[in-house]
Order: sequence, then C-alpha cells, then structure tokens
Amino acid sequence: MKTFENNPSASLRSRLLAGAAVAATLLVFSAGTASAAANCIKGDRKAPYTVGWANIYSVPTWMKQTEGTIAAEVEELKKAGLVKDLMITDAQGNAQTQIQHIQSMIDANVDAIVVIAGSSNALDRVISDACDKGIAVVNFDSLVNTDKVTAKINTDSAEWGAGAAKWLSDQLGGKGKIIVMNGPAGISVSDDRRKGAQPVLDANPGLEIITETNTEYNAAPAQEAMTSLLFANPEIDGVLSLGGAISAGSVMAFDRQGREQVPVTGENARQFLELWKEKGLKGWATMQPNWLGALSVYTAVQALEGKDVPAFIKVPLPVIDDSTIDSYLARAENFPADGYIYSDYDKALFDKLLAQ
Amino acid sequence: MSSVSSPTWLYGAIQRRRNRGLGGLYLVVAAFLVLYVVLFPGILSVGGFSKFTQNWFPLALVTMAQALLMLNGGITLAIGPLVSLGAVIAATTMESVFGVPGGIVAVAFTGLAIGAVIGAIVAHLRLPAIIVTLAGSFIITGVALILLPRPGGFIPDWLSNTLAGHTPVAFLLLVVVLLLWKAFLATPLGLGIYAAGDNPVGAFRSGVRVERAKIAAFALSGLLTALAGLFVAAQTGSGDPVIGAPFTLNSIAAAVLGGVGFLGGKGTMRGAICGSLLLSVMINVMFFLGFPPVAQYLAQGLIIVGAVAVPELLKSWRARR
Repeated sequence: MKTFENNPSASLRSRLLAGAAVAATLLVFSAGTASAAANCIKGDRKAPYTVGWANIYSVPTWMKQTEGTIAAEVEELKKAGLVKDLMITDAQGNAQTQIQHIQSMIDANVDAIVVIAGSSNALDRVISDACDKGIAVVNFDSLVNTDKVTAKINTDSAEWGAGAAKWLSDQLGGKGKIIVMNGPAGISVSDDRRKGAQPVLDANPGLEIITETNTEYNAAPAQEAMTSLLFANPEIDGVLSLGGAISAGSVMAFDRQGREQVPVTGENARQFLELWKEKGLKGWATMQPNWLGALSVYTAVQALEGKDVPAFIKVPLPVIDDSTIDSYLARAENFPADGYIYSDYDKALFDKLLAQ
Repeated sequence: MSSVSSPTWLYGAIQRRRNRGLGGLYLVVAAFLVLYVVLFPGILSVGGFSKFTQNWFPLALVTMAQALLMLNGGITLAIGPLVSLGAVIAATTMESVFGVPGGIVAVAFTGLAIGAVIGAIVAHLRLPAIIVTLAGSFIITGVALILLPRPGGFIPDWLSNTLAGHTPVAFLLLVVVLLLWKAFLATPLGLGIYAAGDNPVGAFRSGVRVERAKIAAFALSGLLTALAGLFVAAQTGSGDPVIGAPFTLNSIAAAVLGGVGFLGGKGTMRGAICGSLLLSVMINVMFFLGFPPVAQYLAQGLIIVGAVAVPELLKSWRARR
C-alpha cells in the first residue's frame, strides 16, 4: 500500500480511482469558497489523511461486516492517495472505554473519526472536543446527541418501525393477536423502532399485542423467548420483530414447536431470508445497510477535501419483500452464514446521498 | 508499652510486608506509564493529564468500592447498575428545583441507603453477598430504566466543565478520597471492616461489632459507587440507564489485579488503585502501539494474567532461595 501512496499516477489506472481523483481535484477547486466547508472542518488538514474508526463493539457479525466495508473503502481511498492510515479501536461494549479511545484519537491527532456511539449521550463532550480540533467526525448507525459533528448518517428507525407495523397490519387485515419482539431495553435504536410502530398500532385497534420481548439482536435468545411464549399462547396471528436475527429465532421456535408459521417482519439476516424462502413465509424485511460504514469514511474524506456535506444524511431503508428476496438470496454465498445480506452500493450511490 | 518507638516500628514492618507482594504490580504499572509518556508526551501537559485521569477516575472509585467489600470478606455484583443509577439520578434531579446540591445529596443518599439495605440483608439474614447483590443488580437496573428509559437528562455545563474539563479536578478528588480512606482506617470502624474480613470470630471476640462493620462497608461501597455514577454523568453531560454495566467486572478485575483476595482481610487499597490504573492505562498504550482490536483482547488477557502471576512467581522464587 505504501507504494500506492507515493505513486498516485500508477493508481490512476484504476477506473474507480480515476473517478475519485477527478472528484478530489474538483473539490480542491471548489474549496476556494470558504463558506462551503462542512461542520468541524477548518481546512488546515491535508491529504493523505489518518482515519480513526472508533467501534463500540467489534464482535457481532453485523459489526464485522461493517468494518469490512470500512476497510474496503479505506483501501480505495489509499489508492487515490487520500488516506494513509486506518486506526481501529474496539470499546468492547463499554461507552466509558469508547470515550477513552476517542480521547486517544484526538491525542494522536487523527484527521477523521468515524464512530458508532455506545450511548446516545455519553460521547457528546469528547466528540465536540474532537470537532473543536478540526477533526472530521462522522457518526453513523447509533447516533450521538450533539450537533458538533461533521455529519450524522443513518436510516430512520421510526420509519422502520412504522413500515414493519404497516406491513403486518395489512397482512392481518388490521386485526389479530401479535407479539412484538424488540432489541435490548435502554438502547435508543430499539426504543425508536418501537416508538415508530406505535402510531400504526394505534390506528389499527383490531391488533392486540399479547406481549413484548426485549432480547439481544441474536437468534438464540429470541428463539428461547418465543418458545416460552408459544407454550403460553395458543393463538398468535403475527410477529412484529424489529431487527437483527430476532425473526430467525422466532421462525425456528414456531418450527420446533410444530406451530403453523405466521406473517413475520425482520431484518436482512441471511438466516432469516433463507428460512423465509425455505418455509415459504409471509415476510417483510428491511435493513441497516453495512455500507453505512464505507459511506461514513467517504463522507469524512469528502469533508476534509473541502466539500460541503449535509449535516444529516438520511439513507432510505431498502425493503425486501417477495418480489426482491431472490435478488438478495442469489448473493447469499458472499456473506457469512450468520451475517446480513446488504444491498449493493457504489460511489454513484454515495455521491447521490451526499448531494441531498 | 516498654518502648515508645515500638508501634512505629511495628507499623513500618507491617507496611513493608503488605507492599512486598505488590512490587511486581508497581513495576508493571510504572513500565506502562513510562511507555505511555514515550508514546504520547502530551500526557505530561495539564490538559492531557486531566483527560487521562478523568477516564481513570470512575474506575478507581468503583475499584475502591469493590475492594472495600472484598477486604470485608464480601463482594458486590451491583457495582455497574448502581453507577448507572447514580448517573440517572444526577441527570434527572439537577434540572429540577433541587439543583446541583440537591442532585449530589440525592445521589449520595441513594448510594448509602442501597448499600446499607444490601449490607443489612447480608449481615442479618446471613445470605451470601454474591446472591444478594446479584438480585440487587437486577432491581437497581430496573429502577434506573424506569427513571430514565433511554439516555437523556441534563447536567449543567459548568459542573461538567469543573469535574471533567481541562483541569485535573478529578485527580485531586481521588487524592482526597484516598486521604479520607487513610483517615477512616485509623478509626475503630475502619479497622473493624478489615478485621471482620480477616477473622470474623477473632474480631467479634475483640469487641468488633461484625454485623455493623459489614453494613458500614456495604453502605460506604454504595456511596463510592453512586458518586462514580455522578462523575460519569458529569463527564458525559447526561444520564444513561445502562452505561455502568461493564464496571462490575472491571472493578473485580482491578481489585484482584491489585492483590485483594476473595476471602477477606487480604490486600491493600493502594494495590487495588494500582490495579485500576493498570486497566486504564493499558487501553491507551495499546491504542498508541496501534494494536488491532483482536490483538487488544489477547494482550489485555495476557497482561492481566501476567500482572497476577509475576508477583506469585517472585514469591515462590524468593521462598526457594
């Protein structure tokens, strides 16, 4: 990689990179108008940049895949001579440790910090410190409260909840007994998705919520929770599951108990999509695309290059239904068995999202 | 009574013996600190020192809270939830009419009261501390989630900037807490906590009210833990109902690293503090060494095993000689 850094002309041969370099050149020219600079950017940092990736927890498969898209993006940007180094930290689920890591990144004077927050509030102060130092801070997936960041990138969790509830309600004709399966309690994402579903549930009083569960976003604990619920409830008409591999756990619980499958919502977990096809489920799924990570690095570098990027980049939720599931399953082999089959992405998509 | 200097001499000898097992840990911690300074000289500036000690401070407090109980022959699994509850109470009371003083009093009182209740259950109902505090941890987590279902609340900026700004206030507070601990150890109650942990029957026969010492230990531990939560709230500028969770295991790890035994009476507070410092500085050193996350997990485990094993190896080597 070092050779690429010092020899940008060689890297220009690659088609993709040529595009990036042209974009970069254009950016250098457009940077003349100082008012266009993005939040936090002071214009005193020059390429190639050092990027810090402050992860909250690297062990879940979703995180590993996301890190994969970040690393791939950094490789592209390295070839274009825009990035020289990627520093990765893993706070092991501890928001306090994440604060310490971001502080260390500030101390090490990185140029950009890409972060998934371990707590929506806890990082506010350290992140605004980074912003004050002219570091491009791009926050995605799990967002912080403070607006002192270069950009926040996410899908809309309320829309997720509403979309899932809407589909389930339509499936059941607006009435029936349902179980709501949430992610962990006290986590903003799980709370926001649930809140987003509420207006739809209120509008359909025929839907009766038997009970709700809070589990990790994994299949095993969800299967366990659903198994005990199946014993207690002879009549269940639908499952409103709000993310992760929870739906796969639910479907397996129904299967193991010999119960007839019911309409179920979910996320793009490969396990769930395969069960959907195999059992001929009535299903609906959306996703938190893993490439939000790649988009975040791209955005940070664009901002450092002087481009004005939106303070909030809302990524539309890709929806998987019976008409699109085959296109996802066709690519299943490229993803880990317990991973997430995310939608395709490329530079053109990123530029379109940044131009919002 | 024959010699006036005898107590001093005895004190010195005892302290030397208590420090001996910690030599290895002191060396490891010193080595890490030196390495950190070499990798990041900015730590020697007021700002750098302040930020580093702020990140260490809550762990140091909860480690003291844990060590205090372990010295008394107990243990608590409720550290993390109580940190969260302290943070949540701070973030929800300070914007009310009670203001900052009211918030601090509320947090301190909650910590003391919860600690005392757990202590009373453990001492008078003779239930194992590990079970009572495990049950307590669920209840406390529930209460924190009811008070603040998701991260939020409010801490005045001036408080955040005072406690966790660019000045080493947190470090000074730690020094004050350690001095208070030293003073407390000179009181009958303070000594009683140690004595009751080391040899409950002997302590009882020497006139220590063992039950009272135990309740006091739990109450003080609860106070320190809740105050750590208050600091976390100030440091982050808000409350979070689950932010404390990792502190439970880290406080035990730090105390054990510092030579505090599980059976009571064995160990020192300074060792425990050093253990917490090692856990904290290790994170920064590994960052500056550029360790990838997977290697960090490995290195962390090896360092902890090493720091515990080295003193033991030294001891057996000394014994053989």
